[in-house]
Amino acid sequence: MIKSILTAFVIFLATTVNCSTVFAAGRVAVSIDPPSVQANMGDKITYAGAITNNSDKAVNNLIAYISLANVTPGKEAPMDLEDWSANKAVKVDVIPPHGAYEGKWPMRLIDSGSYVAYITVVDKESAAPVTSPVSRLDIKRILRLNPNNVLPTAIGEPVIIGAVFLFIYLKRRNKAI
Amino acid sequence: MKTAYIMRKEIRESVLTSKGFLWYILTSVILSVLSYLFLTNSELSLLDQGQMLYMIMNFVTALGILIGVVSGSDAIAGEIERGTLEALLLSPASKTEIAAGKLAAALMNWCIIFVISIPYLFVVGKGGQNLLSGIVYLAVLGTLLAVIFSAFSMGLSARIKSMKNSLIVSFLIFLLAGSPIFLSAALRTTWFGRVLDLVNPFADAINTFDSVVVDSQGFSYQTGRIAIICGYAFLSLLFLKRSVSRLEM
Repeated sequence: MIKSILTAFVIFLATTVNCSTVFAAGRVAVSIDPPSVQANMGDKITYAGAITNNSDKAVNNLIAYISLANVTPGKEAPMDLEDWSANKAVKVDVIPPHGAYEGKWPMRLIDSGSYVAYITVVDKESAAPVTSPVSRLDIKRILRLNPNNVLPTAIGEPVIIGAVFLFIYLKRRNKAI
Repeated sequence: MKTAYIMRKEIRESVLTSKGFLWYILTSVILSVLSYLFLTNSELSLLDQGQMLYMIMNFVTALGILIGVVSGSDAIAGEIERGTLEALLLSPASKTEIAAGKLAAALMNWCIIFVISIPYLFVVGKGGQNLLSGIVYLAVLGTLLAVIFSAFSMGLSARIKSMKNSLIVSFLIFLLAGSPIFLSAALRTTWFGRVLDLVNPFADAINTFDSVVVDSQGFSYQTGRIAIICGYAFLSLLFLKRSVSRLEM
């Protein structure tokens, strides 16, 4: 009997703590836009994130950052956004009660595959970070063989120099004969 | 006039030869590979056009210096080793005119490399920033560096009288001049790194390219470094003049 009461008390406590966590997390919400993207390698896209303060008090000093996870079958891994984005994290000084902050995360698509992008907001007043729903990102492999029209120069110039050399060489040889 | 004659002779014998053309074809092939790699990589990375242009400019400058060092080392010591210096000294041209003609021929190598690099610079820098000013700075500073290293290695070859040894010493000095490239960015910001950067003409040139092409800074930012490079050019010409004046049959 005592054991049952204790168990019920522990469950009650856990539920209460969990409720307060949800409440703390619930005062800030974050969304990501667009909900899905299909693009090519090398393209530049921008994710927009709306952080809303649902509480009656202003929230201060939030940290919001974007994350990307590779969900391509066999390549599942979190991504290091070093080359993908120059500004991965933003600090939001204050969001007034029931106000919102619109953040933008430009990104350059470096590698092909299937990914999910999501924005995480860390509120130091809260025990858990708040995460947006995931935005699916499908990047198609694209092979650019001639960027900036480089091939005519890259192939043509050594050939032209070789041809000039051959011309001078043959001219000199004919003169010698 | 005599200088021009010696220059034409040198160009005939070293520039317009299969050896000379092999250098130019190789230069062109290397620049082709580099440009292609940079541009295909730029599609997928954050390396911008200015950064790529700056890297190609550094490479062209280093290549010009390298060929200047080899030509300079061969200029006097090569003649001594081939036994042709006496004939040259017996000609009506003075020692200074001979040296000037040989230096001009060595600089011709740099001019050809610069001309070869122009299409690559345009392709790599297309749509980017400061392309034309970058090319102007490359022409001016590259020529000054070619003068510095060619004149120095020529003077050295006149003093050492051995092509192999003067080539080794000149290469070591070239490597020393290029050493800031191997230093980390953090080390270059220390007082030692800054002093090394400032007194080193090659580092001055690449820092100027960086400042002009990547940071879009004006001429007033570059004057100190350009003055140092000009000072080195003057000193190396003086060293060459004094070295060849000691030449005897």
